[in-house]
This record gives sequence, structure tokens and C-alpha cells, in this order.
Amino acid sequence: MKLTLTRQIRRLNRIRLFVFFLLLVFLLTAVFVIENLLVSTLVAFVISYLLNPIVNHLERRGFSRMWSTFWTFTLVGGLIGLTAFLVFPIFSSAILGLQQEAPKYIEGLSQLIEELEKHLKGFSGPLLSLDLREYAVSSLTQGSEVFFNRLPGFLKQTFTVMMLGPFLAFFMVKDGRAILRQTFNLIPNHIFETALSLQHQINHQLGFFVRARLFEALLVGLVTWLGLVLIDFPFSLLLALFAAVTNLIPYIGPLIGMIPALVIALVNGSSSFDLFLVFGVYAIAQFIDGFVLIPFFVAKIVNLHPVTVIIVIIAGSQFMGILGMIISIPLTSAAKVTLEAVYRHLTESRI
Amino acid sequence: MNNFAWANLFRSDSKEKSVLETLKQTHIFGSLSKRELQLVIQTIHVRDYAPGEIVFSQGELGIGMYIILNGKVDVMATDPSGSDEPRLVTQLESGDFFGELALVEKQGRRTATAKASVESSLIGFFKPDLLEILDRQPQTGSKIVLRLAEVLGRRLKQTSVKLTELRAETLKNSGRTKV
Repeated sequence: MKLTLTRQIRRLNRIRLFVFFLLLVFLLTAVFVIENLLVSTLVAFVISYLLNPIVNHLERRGFSRMWSTFWTFTLVGGLIGLTAFLVFPIFSSAILGLQQEAPKYIEGLSQLIEELEKHLKGFSGPLLSLDLREYAVSSLTQGSEVFFNRLPGFLKQTFTVMMLGPFLAFFMVKDGRAILRQTFNLIPNHIFETALSLQHQINHQLGFFVRARLFEALLVGLVTWLGLVLIDFPFSLLLALFAAVTNLIPYIGPLIGMIPALVIALVNGSSSFDLFLVFGVYAIAQFIDGFVLIPFFVAKIVNLHPVTVIIVIIAGSQFMGILGMIISIPLTSAAKVTLEAVYRHLTESRI
Repeated sequence: MNNFAWANLFRSDSKEKSVLETLKQTHIFGSLSKRELQLVIQTIHVRDYAPGEIVFSQGELGIGMYIILNGKVDVMATDPSGSDEPRLVTQLESGDFFGELALVEKQGRRTATAKASVESSLIGFFKPDLLEILDRQPQTGSKIVLRLAEVLGRRLKQTSVKLTELRAETLKNSGRTKV
């Protein structure tokens, strides 16, 4: 009798686990197969992690979960919409300006490379025979053409993501806990506490990671923008946006973020003092990031190893192009946070 | 027994009412209003156990407490004298709760094994649930924490009274032996 019951319990547990994993596989397949759903889901996660504390705050003030979520999304959405409405004309004119001036910068850059090539040849003699200029000009011309040709399509995709992401995020914030609770009902009793504790830890760490990283990128972007505006540098908004996005990439991100501004300054024939000023703006942004933000807000985030960063960026670019490069680092960092939480939980529960 | 695996997924209204009643009668949630109890209902987990199924085992990490909605739970502990066979400490019934120490302990380990002796439904209330209530409704959370502290204090008092009695008994016995 006892043996039959044990068998029955085990069978039920196996069925529950099977259904749980089936559900998980189904969801993951849907996310990867349906167009734009992966990026929209990631955006939704980021939005929900950002807005959840505000919704909780409103709930503490006595509003229901439904109204707290509704007002938060309406107000924040309105604020972002208004900002986009104000910034979009400046942004689009900057893009148009860059498109018009792109040949000038490509030509200027090719001249810079040519000079560099001459110096290298002078230094190495006949040993080094490179044609960097032609390679750089062809790849830059091709790259900029592809970029500007693909921009409308990219913007269309961004528009879809920007509509779908917040929509998913709204329900994640409002009903996420209830959905999670229902899903957790499928987990067998003997691993229920472990699974719940693990989910709580991962959620907490990921929330902290997303908020800290975005806060960091936002401040770096803001400082860069202010600095570039102060020194009256062209394309300040675009360059600040680029610096903010690349700042999400550890180690090499800040360097990549600085390159376009330095190229613009060099091509425009800026004086050494102006070059120093441009470098200074980026250095101050990185100083604030490294000495103020990271120790106080981001210190708890474990960074990825430089080699991992490089490999992940290459893999990301091969799978999803530029978008892959941008999202590969946060995704890997999130995976690392998750694995660390799992590892810590497993090791601590065995002590 | 047929619907046992899926009973959690399709919880009926009557079960929810019974959950509300049970929570109301549980000391830890006793001071909460109906509205506050609704929030607790949104966070707790109703789990069904087959007869003989282990709720938790002695020595494993615990993160929360259980309230018996219906059924019976045997609480067993291995004898400190060294016997491997767990000894029945007590049998708990509907409305009783156990494992509450894990709600406040960091990396706390279960001091006994709990096993459903008949088909039972338990309300699980865990640390993440308590933290969620404290985050969303701090007033409700503090009421729960206060009652929890009361329960733990009472258990501590009982333990120290028992310890004093045991010490007195040991002293008495050793005195007798000396004589």
C-alpha cells in the first residue's frame, strides 16, 4: 500500500514537471519563432523591472494594483511620448544631417587612414604592405549605405517592438505575480520551496541589474550630451545616445562610444585643444560612471570577463547583426546573474 | 484522488472561502481586515498532498510556514540520542500551522520532518510572499510580522519554561543519585 502511494506521488510529480517544462519549451519556442517577439519580450521585461517599484509605491499609497499599473503606464508613457515628440524633430534632422555629411566623414577618415598607412610604411619599410584605405573606404561606404537603407525597416521594427513591448509589460506588472503563481502550481511539492526561493532570488538580482545598468547608461548619455552641447560639438544628441547604448558593453563599450566623436573632430580639422575637450567630455562621463555610479549603485553587479565580452559580441553580431551586438551583453549578464543565483542556492542548500 | 494533480490549477470558490476562513482563524493573520486578507490570498500557495507525502524533511533548508486547510500532518524528528528512525512528535490537524520559524530565519534548516498522514491541503506562506506583502502593503506586512513575533516569542517562552523544568528535574535526579 505504502509502495503504491509512493509510486503514485512520484508519477504525479513527473507529470507535473513534464507539463511545466512543456509549457516552458512552448513559450521559449514562441518567443524565438514569432517575429519581433524576442525583442518585445526583452523590452517588456526591462519596462516591468523599471516600473514595478513605482507601481508598488502607488499600491502602498492605497491604490489598487490595476489602477497603480494603469496610472504608472499612462503617466510614464505620456512623458516618454511627449519627450519623443519634442526630441524626434531634432533627432531626425541630426540623422538627415549625418546622412548628408556621411561622404565627407568617410573621405576624411580615409585620408586619416592613408596618413596612418604612410606612417606605418615609413616605420616598417617594405615588410608591411597594407591597403587599409581602400578597405576602410569600401567597407564604410557599404556600411553607411546599408545603415541608411535599412534604417526605415529598423524603425518599423522598432515601432512594432515599442508597441508590443509596453503592452506585454503592462500585463507583466499587473498580472505577472498571479500568472507566475498559477505556473508554480505545476511544480511538484518536493521541490516547490527550492523553486520559489530560486525564482525570488533571480527576480531580485535581475531587477537590480536592469535598473542599475539603465540608470548608468542614462547618466553617461546625459553627461556626454551636456558636455558636447557645452563645447558646441555637432551631432551631440546622436553621439550621446550612441555613448549611452555602447556603455552597456563592459570594458570596450566606453571606448567604442568615443570613436565617432573623435573621428568627427579629426575630420573637421579640430585643434588639439578641441580634441582634448572632446576627450575630456567622455573622460568626465566615464569618471562619474566609474567613481560615483559604479561604487554606489552598480557595485553589486558582477561584470563579465573581457574575453567573454568579445566572444559574446561576435556571436551576437553573427546571429542578429547590430541588434545582436547590443542585446547580447545584457542577455549574457542576465544569464550570468541567473546561473550565479542557481549555483549559490544549490551550494548553500547543501552546506 | 483522480483530480489530485490538477486541483491546484482549478481552485474553486468554495475552497477560496475556506482558505479565507482558515486564514482568519490563524493567529498570524488574525488581526487582518477582510481587504488585507484578500491580499494574503493573492500571495499564498495552496498545495495538495497525498497520504504519506513529505511536506518537508528535517535538516533541509526551509523558507516558510504551512497552515493545514484540511487533512492531518505528522511531525516527526530523529531522536538526538542517535536513533535513525524518526519519532512522531505530534499530529497536527485542520487550522494548525507549522514551520513559521523559517519565515524569519536566514538559511534556516527544518528541525523536524512533516508528512501528510491523510490526503491534505496545506496553505503555504513563504518568505518571498511575506516580503511581497511588506513591499506592497507595509501596514499589512507589519501586522503579520508582529503576530509572527508573538508566536515565536510564545514558543521561546514555552521552550525556556520546559528547559527550566528539565534542568530542575535533572538537578533533582542528580541530588537523589548522590544521596
